Amino acid sequence: MPSDFAPSASPVVARLIDAFRKLPGVGPKSAQRLTYYMIRMPREEAQELADAVIAIKDRIVLCEICQNISEQSPCEICSNERRDQTRICIVGEPLDALAIERTRAYFGLYHVLHGVISPVNGIGADDLKLKELLERLRDGTVTELILATNPNLEGEATAMYIQRLISPLGISVTRLARGLSAGADLEYADDTTLTQALQGRSEVESGTP
Amino acid sequence: MTSEKPRIYSAEGVVLRHHNLGEADRIVTLLTPGRGILRAVAKGARKPNSKLGGQLDLIRRVSVSARTGRTLDSISQAETIESYPRLKMDLELMSKAFYLCELTEKFAVEDAPAARVYRMLIDGLSQLEKTKVPDLMIHWYEMRLLHLNGSQPQIQRCVDCGNDLEQEDHVFSAMRGGIACPSCRPSGSDTMLPASVATIKLLRFLQRAGQNEIERLRVAEDDRRQVERILREHIHFATDRTVRSASFVDEVRSQGKRVSG
Repeated sequence: MPSDFAPSASPVVARLIDAFRKLPGVGPKSAQRLTYYMIRMPREEAQELADAVIAIKDRIVLCEICQNISEQSPCEICSNERRDQTRICIVGEPLDALAIERTRAYFGLYHVLHGVISPVNGIGADDLKLKELLERLRDGTVTELILATNPNLEGEATAMYIQRLISPLGISVTRLARGLSAGADLEYADDTTLTQALQGRSEVESGTP
Repeated sequence: MTSEKPRIYSAEGVVLRHHNLGEADRIVTLLTPGRGILRAVAKGARKPNSKLGGQLDLIRRVSVSARTGRTLDSISQAETIESYPRLKMDLELMSKAFYLCELTEKFAVEDAPAARVYRMLIDGLSQLEKTKVPDLMIHWYEMRLLHLNGSQPQIQRCVDCGNDLEQEDHVFSAMRGGIACPSCRPSGSDTMLPASVATIKLLRFLQRAGQNEIERLRVAEDDRRQVERILREHIHFATDRTVRSASFVDEVRSQGKRVSG
């Protein structure tokens, strides 16, 4: 179907505008801008982009263990025997695992839920990769689960649901610390954040910046 | 004469839902007393250092300053009035708070004052924090909301023959909006739910009781479940919309039973 927003565009152009409009965060105007930018793009660059898009469809799979996106299954992290096999960090999205990897402070494994519980959007626990998580915990290797869902209400709901789900297994469940972020202004912090920051306060050691 | 919204305005509201927009923005849906449902952009709300992100989390009563935009208004400041911390420490209460918010949203519209619905919601959330009977409190709230909307179920007389209901088991027809005698039991595609004598009594009590009376009420779980099914079906029919959070309430409740028992 031709695009409603480019009635005078050729069918080929309209097709690309429509394709861009399906992307998250891309409105009709941005879709048009991107399309017309690509018309002026050198053919090699356009080909590179097209190849990259096809490659992720052809080569990216979900890791059968952690459910993260990867080029192989099991993924590099799950197949790395030097990583701590007793800890699993549970994240909502693949990008969250990437953010934690960037810290170079965590050497355990991950489990990607591919979403969080969102009651108003009709996303329940069955829509998350929780069965796969329970399967991983069956052999008793894992001794700690780190809940690293976003510190908002949906993330909290997900974390609390998992905590209750896991509690009969006797595995230690921890949650990422919450409170003020680096560079934040105290006067703008909301009461929940401040309460959590107060509850999680730690002793100042000499030499601590 | 047209009344235009001021370019910069303040509003109070409860955050009902949000979704991500672009790199770090968030579209927030609030229920406000003066403007009903208000949808506005909170720019940069997903960044860790955002002044807005924490304040505009779900189920918070907030005061916002916003600027009128072409398609969506933009929130520049937000301050929490009430964060309902007890609702967020207990998954069962949290699931019910989600339900309460989503349900209330179904009874409000955009750009139309909703002072009474808003008052009901903030009172309902405060009450949910304190109540010893959260399930019954939710049913009482559902009944009040239906009353406010003028769509209460008919539970005094048969919706078919109009006679007073006898002391016997009946059926509930959402399509007809109330209880029907067993002898009038309408046929066809209409879904019938069982309504025992105890269920009808409970529905009547919920219809007339005050907030404090609910706290003293003790009912059999089977009767409460029947009331729950009836009210959900009636609300679905009255609003023509599904309250999605209801399945989360059920899921959490059954998980709680599995864990405890």
